[in-house]
Order: sequence, then structure tokens, then C-alpha cells
Amino acid sequence: MGLPKAPVLKAVQSWATVAVVLALLWVSAVQTDFNFEALTTGTADFFRFFTRLAPDWRALPEQWQPLIETISIAWLGTVFGSILAFPLIFLASFNTTFNTPVLWVTRSLLTLLRSIPDLLFAAILAPVLVIGPLPGVAALTLFTLAIIAKFGSETVEAIDPGPLEALRAAGATRTQVIVYAVIPQVAATMTSYVLYVFEINVRSSTVLGLVGGGGIGMLLNTYLAFFDYGAIGVLIIVTFAVVILIDQVSNFVRTRLL
Amino acid sequence: MIKFQDVEVTYKTGLKALKGVSLEIPRGQFVVIVGLSGAGKSTLIRTVNNLVPPSAGEVIVGDRSVTRARAAELRRIRSDIGMIFQTFNLVKRSTVLRNVLAGRLSDANPLASLAGVFSRSDIALAHDCLARVGIPEKAYVRADALSGGQQQRVGIARALAQRPEVMLADEPVASLDPPTSHSVMQDLKRVSREDGITTLVNLHFIDMAREYADRIVGMRDGLIVFDGTPEEASDEAFENIYGRSIDIEKDLRGAA
Amino acid sequence: MAQPAPVSTVPPRPPRVRRMLVLQYLLVIGLIAITIIAWFSMDLPTFQRVVRGFQTSLMRVINGLLNPDWEILPLAWRSMLETLFMAILGTFLGAVLAFPLSFFGARNLLGSNAASLPGKTVLVGIRTFPEILLALIFVAAAGPGPTAGIMAMGIHSIGFLGKVFADVIEGIDPGPSEAIRASGGNQVQVFLFAVVPQVIPEVMSLVLYRFEINLRNAAVLGMVGAGGIGLPLIQRIQYRLWDEVATLLFMMVAFVIVVDAISSFLRRRLV
Repeated sequence: MGLPKAPVLKAVQSWATVAVVLALLWVSAVQTDFNFEALTTGTADFFRFFTRLAPDWRALPEQWQPLIETISIAWLGTVFGSILAFPLIFLASFNTTFNTPVLWVTRSLLTLLRSIPDLLFAAILAPVLVIGPLPGVAALTLFTLAIIAKFGSETVEAIDPGPLEALRAAGATRTQVIVYAVIPQVAATMTSYVLYVFEINVRSSTVLGLVGGGGIGMLLNTYLAFFDYGAIGVLIIVTFAVVILIDQVSNFVRTRLL
Repeated sequence: MIKFQDVEVTYKTGLKALKGVSLEIPRGQFVVIVGLSGAGKSTLIRTVNNLVPPSAGEVIVGDRSVTRARAAELRRIRSDIGMIFQTFNLVKRSTVLRNVLAGRLSDANPLASLAGVFSRSDIALAHDCLARVGIPEKAYVRADALSGGQQQRVGIARALAQRPEVMLADEPVASLDPPTSHSVMQDLKRVSREDGITTLVNLHFIDMAREYADRIVGMRDGLIVFDGTPEEASDEAFENIYGRSIDIEKDLRGAA
Repeated sequence: MAQPAPVSTVPPRPPRVRRMLVLQYLLVIGLIAITIIAWFSMDLPTFQRVVRGFQTSLMRVINGLLNPDWEILPLAWRSMLETLFMAILGTFLGAVLAFPLSFFGARNLLGSNAASLPGKTVLVGIRTFPEILLALIFVAAAGPGPTAGIMAMGIHSIGFLGKVFADVIEGIDPGPSEAIRASGGNQVQVFLFAVVPQVIPEVMSLVLYRFEINLRNAAVLGMVGAGGIGLPLIQRIQYRLWDEVATLLFMMVAFVIVVDAISSFLRRRLV
């Protein structure tokens, strides 16, 4: 009687996965002309660059208003996106929607919106709406809408169906069931997620201005055009401060909520 | 009051849960349905408010056909039928009062109810129902902070808030310990008697069935195999319903 | 309806409940107030300007977007492919670099909360630095092209991956580590045989998740010259060639949807 043989299939699967990953990496490197030389020299240049970013604090005063605007853009995008996402969440969840066609249309629309990053929305909307905070708010609204609707529908589909059955049995309408049985079960999680999305949006809104979306990113364009690296240094530090501050506040509220 | 006319239910999986059930229940009667799991008790009860639509036959409550009712009409019929569940089905994070008020939703002003606003009379009724099941002080407590027996009482209060003519109870005490089960059953029987509500209860426990029922209906394999008074429900009759010896059941269950 | 029960008066709300209600109202009013303030704090163009801009461009944009110019499909395919490869390398780079860094952010490997704080702070710092700025810097330092984008994505991903890897490590079962230590194993052996095996499935799932995000970001990084479909996109947007924008968008969305689907499938099989 010998030792049992090690499962062959598992081993083959592992090796196959490793092989596929390595192949992907190799192809990618070749196709993009990625050279390790650039990696090392690039990194050296990178750090050298950082020294040029020594902050020139004279630029600080002119950055206040754009900073406030940046936070406002993030806030408004989050608020409008969440409000618009609200009905879509229930249309995209199988336990609260009307029928299968509505479900699939909503989900497809959301998948489409979710594949486009917020900067791209801003770039496309900038020529349409006037360059400034408007395309920024619109872009973040669309982005927020897409991810909150997705997360929301996942949360709603995972709730306890019992209370829904009970309320339907008592003669409640679809909307009443949503308000009294669905929302109480998901409210805390969703609020926490909205705050998390706000954090993400604050980060995004700092650079939306690069493509015309308003906020502090617009200054960045100016600074780049004039090679004013000292001002960029200040901008980076200020951005850091704002993002970390918002993160802390948001985390505080989120932990108190859940 | 409740008429089942040749009701058949076949699920999408092909399972024939009800194979032709006909039954007439007069107003105010307290009926207990017994049988093994899978005998069709839950399905039968759910055809009364159309949570499970029959594949054939009809269920008539009062003078209205439940089976043939369309959306708005169905909601109106459902508002007169209260239901309590084995798992209570309360909204855990909401307060007890909110849960009971949910029973008033079908009658409440649609817009106001979406904003969480109920009329004073509705709120008073909700408090009354809580008092009738013995837990008026729990009105503002979160539902999941209550014990099992208390949660089921909230379920009863919610059903009562509908001012129902019919009450359906699907294994209402299966999740509760024996003393609590009895006190909940007593409450159910009492409010049913006080308001003259026609009540259908699914139960596992033989002694409980005998103790509380006006009439016992036994089911096996989707058909009614017994229909009579508790006195007529001898051990032999139960063995026929369960299709096996019931000595084990008597040992473990029904102890008050 | 059954006979009506006697309607008693509504008992008054206990003070705690009243307080909660007031707080909720205040909160809602506060949020609305902040929203209004935020709106007016922005440097908004006049309504007429917006309407004029809308009227002149909207129809053109919609027309262009609904009629993609299929002639540039090959270009779209090539650029999106480059974007895909950028994302693959960038994610891989980030994962490889993040893995060791994550240990410095893991409470249970370093012994205490305080010990893991510097590591965590570094990771937060990396994550906060805007990716596109990173790309700009790399383009300036290493020249335009996908390499700059890969580097930017790689470094930025360290921030996210480092943090979530650390979370995974902090969440492992201490049992196996204890067992190996009890039987005389050293720190390295504990690491290799107790920590790593538990961590790998979730780590791979998180890498795939980051890859989904990076694919989208890679499309954008190209806008500042870091390779991929971003450059062709921003050029055509600037020249208002909306029909070509539509084709590029189509290709991007198609890639993203397919990659998301494959990634979701793999991630379900992993965890």
C-alpha cells in the first residue's frame, strides 16, 4: 500500500494559472515597449522632479476659492448622484423591480455608465456645458449615480425577504413595501457608502479641473503652462490636507453610524 | 366565510403541493391545520391571500374571489386578512410601533404613509393593539431587542391593526419554547374570539391543536385526510394524518 | 372590517424619541443648507452662457455620439489594447510592491497598533496623491508613452492594494501561526506556511478588483500623455470630432465590460 497520490488536477490548474499570468505580463511588456531601464532612470528622474516641487507659498491665497469650489463640486456631485440613484436602486434589484425587462434595461444602463471614469465624463461634458464647475458636478453626478445604484442594488437584493412578504400580505403597495421594509434594512449601510463615495469624489474633484471640470485642477493647468512648479508643490500639499481632513471626518461619521 | 373550491397548486418545479382541496370555514371559527412538513399546510394558507396563486380552483373570502382579484382589488382583500409568520417577519431595525403601524398601510393616505406620517386614529389603534397583546410599553423599542415571544406578539398586533376579518398563522409558535408557545396561542385565541376573526393556524403539535382548535383539519400529501372536532381527533386519526406512529411526537411536544 | 375597537388617546412620545426626531430634522435641514451653500460658492457661469453653450453644442454632440465613425475602429482597437496592457503591468507592479509594504501596515504582524501606524500612514499618503499628477510627473521625467502610465498606476495602486492587503492580513485566523510557532517554527516559516496560504485567495481577488479600476484609469491617464486610448480621446474631444469620440468610447466600454465580467467570474471562483 503506497501513499495516496497528490491531486493532479489542482496542481495543473495552479501551474496553468501561473503560466497564463506570466504570458500576459510578457505580452504586455513587449506591446508597450516597457523597459526596465526606463523604470530605474525614470524613478531617479522622478525623485529629482520632486525637488523641483518645493512649495512656493505665495501661491496659497489664490488657491483658497478653488479649494472650496473643489469640495463643493464633490459634495454636489455626491448629493445629486445619490438622489438620482435612489429610484434606480429599486428598479435594478430583482426583489423590488416591476418586471424583468425593466430590470435588464436599468442594469444595462448602469453597467454602461459604470464603465466610464469620472474624468472622462468631465472631459466630454466640458465643451458641452461651460468649462468650469458645471461639467465637474455633472461628471461626478453620473459617476456617483452609477456606483451607488450598483452597490445599492446588491445590498437590497441581499436583505431578508420576510418583512417584504409580511407587508405585501397586509395589502401594502410596492412603494410602501420599499419604504417600510426595504429601506430600514439598508439605510445604515447605504449612508456609510455614500460617505465613502464622497471621499472618492473629493479626490477626483481635485484633478477634474485638468480637463475643464472646475476646482483646483484648473489652476493646475495654468501652473503647468507657466512651469510654476513651486505653486504645484503648494497645490499638492493643500490637496493632501483637504483629502485627509475629509477622510477623517467621513470615517468618524461612518464609525458612529454603524 | 372562507371557501376553497377544488384548489390545486403545482409549483414551477413540478411539485404538486395541493391536489384538489375543497373546504368551507364559517365566520369566526378557529381552525388548526396539522400535517407533516411538505403536506401542503403552508401552501394552503397562502392561497387565502394569494401569496401563492392556485394553479386550478378558486379561493373565496367572504363574497370576494381572492384568486381572480387583480392588483388593486387584491390589495384591498389582503388588507382584511392578517398574517403572522414562523419567523415573525418584523422589520428588525424599526421600532415596534412602526412595525404595527405597517399594518395600517393599505388604509393610510398613500403620500402621507410614504413620509412616515399616520393619522392620530391610526397611531391610537396601533397602541391599542399593542396593549391587547400585553406589551404596550414596548412601543418605541427596536424590534430586534425583543424576545421571540414578544416579537410574535408584535406580529399579532400588526395583523390586528389591519382590523382583519381573517387571520392566517403559518407555524406561529414553531420558533418558540413550549411555555411561550402556549401563551402566544392563548393570546391568538383570545383576540380571535374577541373580534370574531376567522382564524387558520398551521401547527405541528398535536396537544396544542387539540387544546385550542374549534376544528382540526389534517393534511397529507396535498389532500385533506381529516376534518373534525378535537374530540374526534383521536391518536389513531393523527397516526393516519402523519402516516406513522405518533408516540414520539407526544413525548416531546405539547408539554405546557 | 371587524367591529371597531375603542380608540384611546395617543400616549405622548418619550423624551428620548422626541430628541431623536428633532435631531433627524436638524440633520436634514443641515444637509440641504450645505448643498445650497455649496452651489453658490462655486464660480458658476451665467445661465445665459450655459444655455447658449448647450444650444450650440448639444445637438452636435448627441448626433456625433450616436453615429460612430467606424473607420477609426482599428486605431481604437490598438489604443485600447495598449491601455489593457498598461493596466496589466501597472496592476502587477503595484501588487508586487504593495505586498511587502502591506506587512508594515498589518497590526498582527508587527505586534501593536502603534507599530503599524507609520506603514499605514505611508500607504494613505501614496493613495492620496492624485494618480493623474503622478502620470504627469512621470511623463515629464521618463517621456510620454505607456511606460509613464504603468509607473503612475503601479505606484498609485500600492496605496490601495497595500491597505486592503494589510486588512486581509489583519483578518487572518491566528491559529495556524500559533501552531507553527508552538512546534518550533521561526518567523519566516510562520509567514510562509501560516500567513501566506490564508491570504492568497483574497489577495488575488483584490488584485483583480484593482485591475478593473486600473483599466478605467489607464484610459484617462493617456489624456496627459501616458499612453493608451486617452490621448486619441482627448485630441478628438478638443477638436469636437464627436463621431470618432463615439467609436473610441465604444471600444473602451466594450473592453471594460468584458474585463469586468471575466474578473467577476474569476473572483467568485476564488473566494
